[in-house]
Amino acid sequence: MERKVGRRTAQILASAALVGVLGAAGAAPGQGQKPPAAPAKSAAPVPAKSAHLASWNPDRNAYFGDLHVHTMLSFDAYIFNVRATPDDAYRFARGEAIGHANGMNIRLAGGPLDFTAVTDHSEYMGAMREANDPSRPLHNSPLVQGLFSPDPAAISAAFNKIVGLSQANQMPKDFSAPDVAGRAWKEVQEAAARNNDPGRFTTFVAYEYTSAPDGRNLHRNVIFRTPKVPELPYTALVSSDPENLWKTMDQWRAKGIDVLAIPHNSNGSDGLMFETTRRDGTPMDKAYAELRMRNEPLVEITQIKGTSEVHPSLAPNDEWANFEIMERYIGSNKQVTKFHGSYVREALKDGILMREQKGFNPFKMGFIGSSDTHNAAPGSVEERNYFSKVGRSDGTAAQRGSVPPGGAKTWPAVVPDSNQALAPFQAWGASGLAGVWAEENSREAIFAALRRKETFATSGPRIRVRFFAGYDFPDDLAKRADLVKTAYAKGVPMGGDLRPSAGKAPKFLIWGLRDPNSGYLQRAQIVKGWVENGKAREQVFDVACSDKLALNKTTWRCPDNGAGVNLATCEPDRFKGDVELRTLWTDPTFKPKQRAFYYVRILENPSCRWSTWDALRNGTPPNPTLAKTIMERAWSSPIWYEPTA
Amino acid sequence: MASISSETSPERGDGAMRIFRRVAREPLVHFLLIGAVLFVGLESFQAMRRPVVRIDAQDLEQLANYWQIQMQRPPNKDELKHIIDDRIDEELMAREALRLGLDKGDMIIRRRLAQKMAFATDDTAQADEPTDAQLKAYYSKTADRYAAASRVSFQQAFFSGDRPNGGAQKAAAQAMERAEEDGRADPAGDPFIFPLAYQDVSVQDLLRDYGAAFVKTVSTAPLGAWAGPVVTPYGFHLVKVTARSAPTQASFESVRPQVRDAYLADRRAEANAAFLKSLHKRYRVIVAGVPDS
Repeated sequence: MERKVGRRTAQILASAALVGVLGAAGAAPGQGQKPPAAPAKSAAPVPAKSAHLASWNPDRNAYFGDLHVHTMLSFDAYIFNVRATPDDAYRFARGEAIGHANGMNIRLAGGPLDFTAVTDHSEYMGAMREANDPSRPLHNSPLVQGLFSPDPAAISAAFNKIVGLSQANQMPKDFSAPDVAGRAWKEVQEAAARNNDPGRFTTFVAYEYTSAPDGRNLHRNVIFRTPKVPELPYTALVSSDPENLWKTMDQWRAKGIDVLAIPHNSNGSDGLMFETTRRDGTPMDKAYAELRMRNEPLVEITQIKGTSEVHPSLAPNDEWANFEIMERYIGSNKQVTKFHGSYVREALKDGILMREQKGFNPFKMGFIGSSDTHNAAPGSVEERNYFSKVGRSDGTAAQRGSVPPGGAKTWPAVVPDSNQALAPFQAWGASGLAGVWAEENSREAIFAALRRKETFATSGPRIRVRFFAGYDFPDDLAKRADLVKTAYAKGVPMGGDLRPSAGKAPKFLIWGLRDPNSGYLQRAQIVKGWVENGKAREQVFDVACSDKLALNKTTWRCPDNGAGVNLATCEPDRFKGDVELRTLWTDPTFKPKQRAFYYVRILENPSCRWSTWDALRNGTPPNPTLAKTIMERAWSSPIWYEPTA
Repeated sequence: MASISSETSPERGDGAMRIFRRVAREPLVHFLLIGAVLFVGLESFQAMRRPVVRIDAQDLEQLANYWQIQMQRPPNKDELKHIIDDRIDEELMAREALRLGLDKGDMIIRRRLAQKMAFATDDTAQADEPTDAQLKAYYSKTADRYAAASRVSFQQAFFSGDRPNGGAQKAAAQAMERAEEDGRADPAGDPFIFPLAYQDVSVQDLLRDYGAAFVKTVSTAPLGAWAGPVVTPYGFHLVKVTARSAPTQASFESVRPQVRDAYLADRRAEANAAFLKSLHKRYRVIVAGVPDS
């Protein structure tokens, strides 16, 4: 009975937040404005008695954010007709409405985020805006011809033109002139400073390093801890080898500029992101692995352009591996051919194998998700409130292929295969949010959490995940009110290392709490990778089942809880799934000498995919070639078992 | 010329001479002659003043530079001639198109011009630095922008909605009864991922994380006593509020820079609107189907 009440509350909560979400007519408030008033900045007096912010919690709070956000300062976003500024992006993250390139108003349904970094492409940063400004010298470039059309076909041509010239190293030098980039970089810094509001909302100065040798994606977001940043970003125009970026980051750090980089879209790297040699083909060594891990403790495993956790072909025994898979190059239709080296779970396995055989691990990464919005819309990965991510190119359902072409009411007998479709937007997912466990909502605390990998990723919902491992957890840990304190005292949190075992198998505390604006939880899983006889192996264990279902400890699978969705309304079945999943699990396959990693994956009941919501609103059936439902999920950062210190 | 002619044909010249003299004295002929001279003169003068297409040194350099950027080497003599010829042809076509009015009714050209105008007016609309008095007046007019949500400190006991057989509501109610009987002992509930004790948290955050019913309870419960149960999407909660602060208003001094930014943004928007309004006054706008205003 209480479940019923709880659901209704959730719906009210959701619909209250949904008011004025999409397509509201009227002018976009403050669209593309110079800084509007940044109101109420630290208005309330911070109590002087403590050095901590009001929200300080020694057991750490979950904060949700987006560390991958583009605005009009990115060359591609500008071409996509996006005119929203970094200030607009921060306003959107704080729950305000901003304008979309299509003219509609957009707003988060799930409420404000806690932190955000605007990460515009450092290559040609701010150049397109200047090229479109008659008062700037860049405006006279012949390249400007047809570059700024509102027509989607012309937009696509313009995008390809710039990417093509850039890859051929033929972009006019004045598009990357230091004064042009400098103006934009200053704006990025000022917007971050203006919108940082300790205790309520955290911003970071950041940018995206956009390296893609032969179109194979090696992009990274570079995030700075404090306002102390280099004069200009280090760009892929200087070097497309990330190793040179990391060396530069080391130099910055020596000057007191603290920074980390987060790679993303390994799925579009065609095996390059996690190749097991250095970029120049020479073998990796310990110094390389340390350089890489010092600068890249995290990886963005899910975003709108697909999820990079695992590919079905790499994990035939993982029934949930086929989640928002995108098998193309980034920004083109070229098919990816190499999945190995493109997915994170495989990289973690390669990493522990290299640690075992060569003594170093270049792939010891924690997880975050982020949107990669090019609409200056952080956190816009909500299935029922989805407008994709590239401005005028995919702002309508028709452009995204989720409704029948030409305004028809039914689908043609032969629907173009989504994987072969001209536009990749159908294969994109409304996915990617970053979660961190930090004592308070401040730059210092959140950056420290990123650094120690106490982070998690979600496919959009604000699912909260806790994960600890230790040898001396009491058996009733999961039932104790002080479990978090005990877990910290006697174990390590996500992102940490388990010290060598003295014979005992480690215990794992797995805990997930649903997002009240999203579905109920169906199962909690442990993904384990380990080294056995010189080979890296993996297994997915269900460890907690919903609905009081009994876990089968032979197959390590929960029985199906039978939860479904009414596709005519997108209403999920009632009374299925749990508010939270919480368990203490001991690894039955643990061997003290076997190097291993463990991470948590929590799955929601099935719910409508964004494309089904689009179809529902359009009054037409969902696209028969697309998945109608998905299982939203969250991933914790791994904990590594290191048998030798 | 007339005299030379008379000298070269003296015998037959007399009659013709007479006619010529008479004609030469006619005012109409004077008029026509002067007209013809003027016409020829004007024609040749106008020919000298044809519109000029000038490609100056700077243009030449720019043309060559752009070519070089795309080709990665400087143009040779022939290529340079082609580039210049193309540029001239483009200019001629464009001039002729303008002369023929081909720019009229072209959406792209219209948009571009409007955009240029907007850039130009935006630059001229730079407002003066506001005085303190202006800013204070603006601040009091927009005071609600500088208000922070009320904050609250409380403890909670949580009863998970996953308890079997609707047990959460019952357990919460029983715990509440016990708390009312014995004010000293805190009720014991289930573990919870959210904090069981909050210090000075904003009700906005609570609204996002727990919903409206919960916020109502923590906003109205008596201080220092357990209250509830209140239902949320997670289950049932008892709360003991220990402190509550009213919404606070940031002082003018503490937010002066933000007030200034907002004030200037407002002035800019006003100036732009005023400029458009002045344009409306200078033109009569007629829209089909809409009564002329």
